[in-house]
Amino acid sequence: MSATIGIRPTKSFLMEIKRRIGYIERGTEFLKLKRDHLAKELTASLEVLKGRRSLLLENLRVAYRAVTASYISLGPTEVRSQVSSIKTGLELEVIPRSVMGVRYPFIKVEKEPQIAGELDITLSEAAEKVLAILDDIIQLAEFEARAERIADELGKTNRKVNALESTIIPSYRQVIKFIEDKLDEESLEELVRMKLIGGALGRQRE
Amino acid sequence: MSPGLPYVVVRSHALIADLLTPERMRTLAEQESLEGFVEKLADTPYGSISIEAKGNVSIALEKVFYQKFIERMMATVDVAPRNIGDFLQSYYYMRFEVVNLKRIIRGKYSGIPDLQIVESLIPMKPYRVESYEEIVDETALEGVIRCLEGTPYARLATRLELSEKYNALWPLEITLNHIYANAVFKSLEDLPQEDRGLVRKIVKSEADVENFLVAAKQRSVRDKVYRPEEMFPATYEIGLEKLREAIDASDIRTVIQRLDAPYIEILAPLYQGDVALIRSRLRRYISNAAMKGRTANDFGFNTVMAYLVFSEMEKDDLVGIAWGKSQQVSSEDILKYLVIPHSQ
Repeated sequence: MSATIGIRPTKSFLMEIKRRIGYIERGTEFLKLKRDHLAKELTASLEVLKGRRSLLLENLRVAYRAVTASYISLGPTEVRSQVSSIKTGLELEVIPRSVMGVRYPFIKVEKEPQIAGELDITLSEAAEKVLAILDDIIQLAEFEARAERIADELGKTNRKVNALESTIIPSYRQVIKFIEDKLDEESLEELVRMKLIGGALGRQRE
Repeated sequence: MSPGLPYVVVRSHALIADLLTPERMRTLAEQESLEGFVEKLADTPYGSISIEAKGNVSIALEKVFYQKFIERMMATVDVAPRNIGDFLQSYYYMRFEVVNLKRIIRGKYSGIPDLQIVESLIPMKPYRVESYEEIVDETALEGVIRCLEGTPYARLATRLELSEKYNALWPLEITLNHIYANAVFKSLEDLPQEDRGLVRKIVKSEADVENFLVAAKQRSVRDKVYRPEEMFPATYEIGLEKLREAIDASDIRTVIQRLDAPYIEILAPLYQGDVALIRSRLRRYISNAAMKGRTANDFGFNTVMAYLVFSEMEKDDLVGIAWGKSQQVSSEDILKYLVIPHSQ
């Protein structure tokens, strides 16, 4: 369907449309800047994420092996019973943070579990291994959530820029061209009419 | 009335043949899944076990394996001569009762629901206490200790103050271990002199290794507020001095290397930090000791003891496999910690 249906081909509307397209073009430029910045941020995040993830996976493997060994050594009921004697558990606070308007969760460790004392040595070694990588797990989760939201926002921004560049702006330009053509046509008609009237008046005077 | 020791020994010989062989245990550990493991288990004396979809399957299977072991143990105790029966009751029933009391104490200390505590108990009748339910019904730890008055565990009351001082349970748990070891050594006196060696060897090695592991754990504690005398009320082949050295030495390897056999070999995995393997090696040592004891006296108490030791190893191995399979742990990682597949 044509973008020009129902358009008033007036000078004031043309000025309004030109003002609007000016805003849209400036907005598009800003969105392009945001897109580039988010893309840069995402690339950097993915690099870090890749490195951290492989390191954490290795540490997790070691910790999981220790947990497995303690379960096989003590039996699941004994492990559960011993673990129940830990009174202070892990307490976290999730605080929202923002980068380029993208909100992501920041996790703050309020209290770490106190594992000393009560556990059997196999279990306490496993717990220490898990505790040692707890900060890394939390940071990685935070980083993954951040990267995911940046990627999501990047996708949205990209779609907006594409829509503006390939649909909105061209349709506005089409409208402008249509109004300008109409106005040119009208002014040409006006000129011809004036000339005809001028000619007729001249002939009357003669 | 007992049909006499020869009957119990012959019966134990016959029942040893019913236990899972190393090959069979290895096959069970090598199954792809928990379903495969349960299916293979159906061809053994454990028969077919139905698994409910809801609930923790490995814990349900653990209960089944414990029940089977307790049945075997009770059947032996029932026909054993009085002195052997009394000893076996102290050695096994009391051991499990101590485990149950520790679970009740931990549950009360951390305030977990009574039902959850009861579910965590080993399915056996009370041995030296009146009823587990009555103890679990107590609202506080002090009440639990009060319930134990008039039982062999009454001494726990004297350690309650220490437990409160450190806000920790280890003084009570260590005392329970000590009470158990003393009861076993006392009931050993009822056995003929020649039958005491194997049990003494087992109990001492278990206590020594556990003491050493507690000492090794203290190495990572920054503020060593606990006194070794309080932590190790009973020591055997590894004395208090050696345990002190283990806590303070910069390199634990030098302390282990100065210990006598079999501890050098049993404790060696500590160098690589694989503590669970120490317990596996200890169990292998006990299994070998039982096997040697049986070879030395194939027609006496050692055969009865060997049957029960092997049964217990079987139970522990099956519990480990069931958990490992429920968590999709590789067969290689499970086999590493088992005893029976590695025995000759």
